[in-house]
Amino acid sequence: MITARDVYKSYGATQVLNGVSVDVADGELAVILGASGSGKSTLLSVLSGLERADKGSVVCDGRELSSLTEKQLTEFRRRTVGFVFQQYYLLGHLSVESNVRLGADLVGNKNFRDEIAAVGLADKLKAKPSELSGGEQQRVCIARALAKQPRVLFLDEPTGALDEATGRSVLDYILKLKAERGFTAVMVTHNRNIAETADKVITVNSGLVTDVTQVALPKNAYEIGW
Amino acid sequence: MIIGIKDGIKLVGVIIVCFCAVFVCTFFLNFYFDAIAVSGEVSIEMRPLYDAQLATAQLVCAIAGGFLSVIAVVMLVFYIKLFIDGNAKRFGLLKAMGYSSAKISLAFWVFGLAVFAGALAGLCVGYAVMPVIYDALTVDGLDIAIGFHAWLPVALVLAPTGCFCAFACGYARFALRRNAVIMLKGGSGVTRVKKVSTNAVQFLTDMRRGVLRSKKSAVFFVAFACFCFSAMVQMGLSMRDLGSVTMGVIIFIIGVVLSVVAMIMAVTTVVNGNLRNIALMRAFGYSQKERAVAVLAGYIPFAVSGFAVGTVYQYALLKIMVSVIFADIGQTLEYSFDVPIFFVTLAAFVAAYATAMFVYVRKINAVSVRSAMLQD
Ligand SMILES: Nc1ncnc2c1ncn2[C@@H]1O[C@H](COP(=O)(O)OP(=O)(O)OP(=O)(O)O)[C@@H](O)[C@H]1O
Ligand SMILES: [Mg+2]
Repeated sequence: MITARDVYKSYGATQVLNGVSVDVADGELAVILGASGSGKSTLLSVLSGLERADKGSVVCDGRELSSLTEKQLTEFRRRTVGFVFQQYYLLGHLSVESNVRLGADLVGNKNFRDEIAAVGLADKLKAKPSELSGGEQQRVCIARALAKQPRVLFLDEPTGALDEATGRSVLDYILKLKAERGFTAVMVTHNRNIAETADKVITVNSGLVTDVTQVALPKNAYEIGW
Repeated sequence: MIIGIKDGIKLVGVIIVCFCAVFVCTFFLNFYFDAIAVSGEVSIEMRPLYDAQLATAQLVCAIAGGFLSVIAVVMLVFYIKLFIDGNAKRFGLLKAMGYSSAKISLAFWVFGLAVFAGALAGLCVGYAVMPVIYDALTVDGLDIAIGFHAWLPVALVLAPTGCFCAFACGYARFALRRNAVIMLKGGSGVTRVKKVSTNAVQFLTDMRRGVLRSKKSAVFFVAFACFCFSAMVQMGLSMRDLGSVTMGVIIFIIGVVLSVVAMIMAVTTVVNGNLRNIALMRAFGYSQKERAVAVLAGYIPFAVSGFAVGTVYQYALLKIMVSVIFADIGQTLEYSFDVPIFFVTLAAFVAAYATAMFVYVRKINAVSVRSAMLQD
């Protein structure tokens, strides 16, 4: 599904990615693990077409991202990818329902209420983000990303701002929905325990992939430590 | 210090409006009182022109002073509300720590400084151009010397500054009456009962409405900018035909400046307030056009209404002025709606609006997803 080869990316003088190569198979859950500042978020945004690599090739869902025009890249994000951000980024002035429609309307998905029900928020349709708990807000983000029926879901520390109980339940939703729908997922975390739920663990250090481990028997959200 | 001096004098809009108001009032008031002082020397032949000059001075002061100070008040409210919304977390934290709204609101006096800066600049420039204005306004055969009226700086600079400082604190006190916890979470904190719509609207429609609802003051300023442009440009141009070129030029310039400032202010706050939403829509794959429409298109009806109201307003005002004021002083002038000027103004308006939108669409397109996401 995703094949990146020798990807370089810098911001001004800061060299962030120094020739990263990763492979993520169809339907796989890949976890990117690494210390703060190691370049995980940068890698995620390059793999998902949010940003362009300076050098190297990224093929996602059969398309070479560096060869796409800005318009095609927008179209690619629209059709192919979903995002869940660490800091939620919900639209504060709109209801839960409208926030999920941000994703659903892009692909004409009429069942956005089912997406909200799937993350256990059917009774909060009209609530504003500021009236929700952190875990609930993150679940809205997941519903919003999934409502556009992405082929690949990118998650940047989806449980980073949550406590253990809430974190586990959010992770559980992610794993369950992934099992149901079979999309590919790439998740960034710095929590080693969470990596045990993955099919593949990619360890990043100073902008380089230092280890790739295929996990034989991924655990579920309640079997891992925290 | 809760609010820095810098935040207080950043209010360019208020500064410019106060500048315009005080600038105009300075020389016209000065002229008015100098002219009154020599009224004994006015001969019968000079009388009509002399009276007309006084009437002009009165009218311009009333329009500039009254109209512009209302605008300054509205702008100040707009800024303070924006400031509180933008710093909701900070104020929520202060409230959570036990500061009372009253105590926090006292720090808002700094916003009055913008009034001081604008008014002072207006006064100085007003004095500087006074000789030129006196030349333009002089009645042949009557010598009106420039006198200095010490109460002018007090009335035009110090008093407004004091009033605005007090007003800023008072309004802030009102605007800070929100739930601290919701403010901490970045919400507006004001819970309103809203009718829950059962019919499902498209996201883009909802987003467009949401942007309008969340920035109501911007709606006002867009309409106001278009109103000003339409009313004051047409009035300024018509004034030339009515034989008052100086006043026409002043109105024209103030109209253009005000509308440009109000428009830039409104659209900038709308775009900046939505940077993250725009970036998010971009990340999800919404096209450039969809992003621009979602954020800016909702304002078009208000812009058009503002323009229409402005046209009617200036027509009515000129009609009244011609029939009441000039009739009073025994001059007969004909005024009818000026169609060519209307179309010239309309064309300029459409061109300016299109340019502004184009610039902002470019700006919206340049919002990089990650940089917007990484803010704070
Ligand atoms: N827009 C930017 N401009 C300049 N430097 C940047 C920018 N974005 C990221 N960096 C730098 O790139 C490096 C990697 O950033 P990145 O966000 O990818 O780290 P990360 O691994 O996700 O860290 P964390 O776990 O803390 O989120 C950091 O040193 C950061 O300072
Ligand atoms: Mg990161």
